[in-house]
Amino acid sequence: MAGVENAPQTPARRITRSLSATPSKPPHGTSNPPPPATPTAAPSWSDDLALPQETVSLDDLFALLPGRRSQILELLRVIGPPNSPMLPALLCGGPSTGKTSTVLHVFRHLRRRFVYTSCRSCYCPRILFETVLNQLLRHTKKRENGYSSAKKCDKASDFVYMLGDALVQAKSAIRGEKKKSCSKEGQHDGNSEMVYLIFDNVELIRSWDKGSTILPLLFRIPDLLKIPDVGLIYISRAMPATYYTMTGSLEPVYIHFTDYTLADLQCMLMRNQVNEKLYSSFLSVVLKPFYRVTRRVDELAIALKPLFKKYCEPLKDLKLVPDEGMKRRLFDYLQPHLTASLNEIFEIPPWASVEAKNEGISSKRGNIRKSWGKDVYNELDIHMPISAKYLLISGFLASRNPATLDASLFDSTGGSSNSKRKRKSIKTSLDKQEDIAEEILMKGPGSFPLERLLAIYQCITSVMECAAEDHEDGIQPEGLSVHLMSDVLLQLSTLCNANFICKSNSCPLEGSARYRSTIDEDMALKVARSINFPLSKYIYRR
Amino acid sequence: MAAALTLLRSRLCDPTYIHAPFKSSKQSNYSKLKELVSGTISDSCNNSALLLGPRGSGKVAIVDLVLEDLKAENPDSISVVRLNGLLHSDDTCALKEIARQLCLEHQLSFSKMASSDDNSQFMIDMLRECGLAHRSLIFVLVEFDLFVQGKQRLLYCLIDAMQTVTSQAVVIGVSCREDADQLLEKRVRSRFSHTKLLFAPPSREDMKSLVEHILYLPKNAGLPSEYITKFNAHVQNILNDKRFKQILDSLLCVDGTIGNLVQYLFRVVSSINLESGLLSLENFKNAQISCERQPTIETLQDASILELYILVCMNRLESKEQNSYNFNSIMKEYKSIHDAYRTSDNYGDTVCLRAFEHLLERELISYVDHRGRYLPVEFRPVELLISSHELYLGLKSNSSCPAILQKLLDHESFK
Repeated sequence: MAGVENAPQTPARRITRSLSATPSKPPHGTSNPPPPATPTAAPSWSDDLALPQETVSLDDLFALLPGRRSQILELLRVIGPPNSPMLPALLCGGPSTGKTSTVLHVFRHLRRRFVYTSCRSCYCPRILFETVLNQLLRHTKKRENGYSSAKKCDKASDFVYMLGDALVQAKSAIRGEKKKSCSKEGQHDGNSEMVYLIFDNVELIRSWDKGSTILPLLFRIPDLLKIPDVGLIYISRAMPATYYTMTGSLEPVYIHFTDYTLADLQCMLMRNQVNEKLYSSFLSVVLKPFYRVTRRVDELAIALKPLFKKYCEPLKDLKLVPDEGMKRRLFDYLQPHLTASLNEIFEIPPWASVEAKNEGISSKRGNIRKSWGKDVYNELDIHMPISAKYLLISGFLASRNPATLDASLFDSTGGSSNSKRKRKSIKTSLDKQEDIAEEILMKGPGSFPLERLLAIYQCITSVMECAAEDHEDGIQPEGLSVHLMSDVLLQLSTLCNANFICKSNSCPLEGSARYRSTIDEDMALKVARSINFPLSKYIYRR
Repeated sequence: MAAALTLLRSRLCDPTYIHAPFKSSKQSNYSKLKELVSGTISDSCNNSALLLGPRGSGKVAIVDLVLEDLKAENPDSISVVRLNGLLHSDDTCALKEIARQLCLEHQLSFSKMASSDDNSQFMIDMLRECGLAHRSLIFVLVEFDLFVQGKQRLLYCLIDAMQTVTSQAVVIGVSCREDADQLLEKRVRSRFSHTKLLFAPPSREDMKSLVEHILYLPKNAGLPSEYITKFNAHVQNILNDKRFKQILDSLLCVDGTIGNLVQYLFRVVSSINLESGLLSLENFKNAQISCERQPTIETLQDASILELYILVCMNRLESKEQNSYNFNSIMKEYKSIHDAYRTSDNYGDTVCLRAFEHLLERELISYVDHRGRYLPVEFRPVELLISSHELYLGLKSNSSCPAILQKLLDHESFK
């Protein structure tokens, strides 16, 4: 529950971790437990070299990570008994299959020392290298040392050199620690202890600047170091074949993490539910159709949560154990919502609107909305000046409509009066319809020069001005200063920065920049609605 | 029994142990290389050699063995400088590393601030000094092909110095590229001796003796002797089994290098039964299965049904020889399939788009180019990264795959 609760705030990976990591914790209340500020069960990974205090038994491990039994066993076999060296291992599997949490929990179970680095948070070689070294040297960034790393390390050659040093240092520190505890416990083993280096999200390195050199380096660390008691584990979403290099490479021992099966998913989603009977009857209805669409726990958890709320709506007492008749009744009630939500399962509502919904939920309850997930989006949730909205619309029109039709569409006399003429001109090009439709499908929104954008902008603003005068409401829409000013250009650059309009490669002959609108039609219509602009009149339909 | 397991595992992780049996044979690359290097040392001249062979054939291990032995034989007259192409392909960096290692070896203080020119001058001086002191410098350049990129200033500098100064040095290049000597510039190649040692995959007999060498427990390892005899008898039984020979043959057919064998044996050893502490033929069989897994098919099995639909649509588009297509054209195909067959899996565009993105994440499909980076996802042209046969196998092995999908695929490609 906790993992699902803080879903909208935190990225997907975090969700899966806390979802699978929270041991069944009694939820606070039936309705909405306050979302925890930090992910609940994430232990302090920062001080990994220190041994964890609590022990996790193997059975606990299996219970903690449902559906991962074979992978855990395989991983345990590859890691082997204490103080035995291992060949590097590569764990592969799709997103949200529990790779990271399995590895981390297995190490907690084994009580071995490891260094965990994710290539997602360490997004460049320097940070990656320094993070590994910091952890080995047990160096924490704090105010006293100016948040600096233990060692400055930029180059791969320095890294391998320093890594060797750091490992030796770490080992001697461990040995010192051991001696202390040994004198107490009186046990002794001769071999030096293994230290494991775990690299997560290795697939991201491929898109780095120097990824082509860092990647073989990471995979060949054991050869380069020539220190036997270092274990290397790589975690990757991409298949091993994607790491092959020109000159070939020795494959690490490969462990595949399959996606969860239906039974596993059921088991995971059942966790931390208040009324297990009710929820299992809900899952038996819902899970199968959703399973055909996606097999990712994180997405399913998000999609199912509002649906379960819907499912419970007719119920007065949530602690009720449903019988057959009630199950059928609840199913009938859910049916229309189910089909609707299957088609929009991935909408993650923005956090603010969720809160608003939670507050106003009692007032809205009861009226069935057909697309209940979408109503949040009917009004525009971005604020921008009127002129920017006009600019956005004109950009959209310039991208969608062929340039040759501009003259007929935007006559200076106004949009509504010349609709007949417009129809005619479209009809002439009817025969080419198919070809163009195909082309549009392939090419995407067209690009346009700045002049055309500004011309359309001027046209539609003047049209709106006319319309406003016709109405003679006295209420002048704001932003009718149609004079082209630097202000408009400024707005344009803002829109570019917000990625609503993007600069595409400039025309080689003219040399001037061309623009392209990236918003889709729904968005454009929403914007148009917010300023009462009759957009549909101007879109060239094929 | 953990001690035995640890022993076996540390053997497998230690390349020098694995390659030790090659010491005895006269024909092996070990003997050739040792002859070459020791000859150079005793004649106090310069030499160079290239060690070429596929990855995992034990080139570096052989070099290590040779150098270790030579160091033991004449401890005062050798110093070794090791460079790796992955780390030191940059000239300045390589020169600095050479200077650092030389300083370390000769108890000199190394200055981090020294310029590249200083370092190269230092190297030449050291070559001269060592030549005068009858001390051989051995340069080992691992990933030699990476030193060849660029202007090859380092290689030229090194080899030219060897010829002009009265020095004693050996340059050993190790590379996976058989054409590594062809990559050299003319001025470097003409100064480079053309000694090449090729590493061919060992014969079946050698492999078998290697397996024995790795798996038999030694008498003096501090393990109970009953257990050792029992274990070794078990191993012998397995090695003489016909099925084991079959497994070994099929394994070496794919990749005959020692590295592959070691990886296989590592899987075998790590799956050892911890209670009895003995290896069984089952271990060997299972390890073979896990070595021969096909990641693509497994990834296909993980795909949800909607994702499979999209893959089939893409495959249909490709077999229609549509040269470029994007999400929108896939959706058109998907809709047409749905219209024709009335399948139950009809989803909206947004859902399909998300499934499409999942496929991109799984790397079963990818964008054709990176040019249209600013285009929305729907419009960027994509391509399948798997062959239609792989897709066929994947669909067949996926138990939850609807029959209609297989039919759709069959109609297109297996008429």
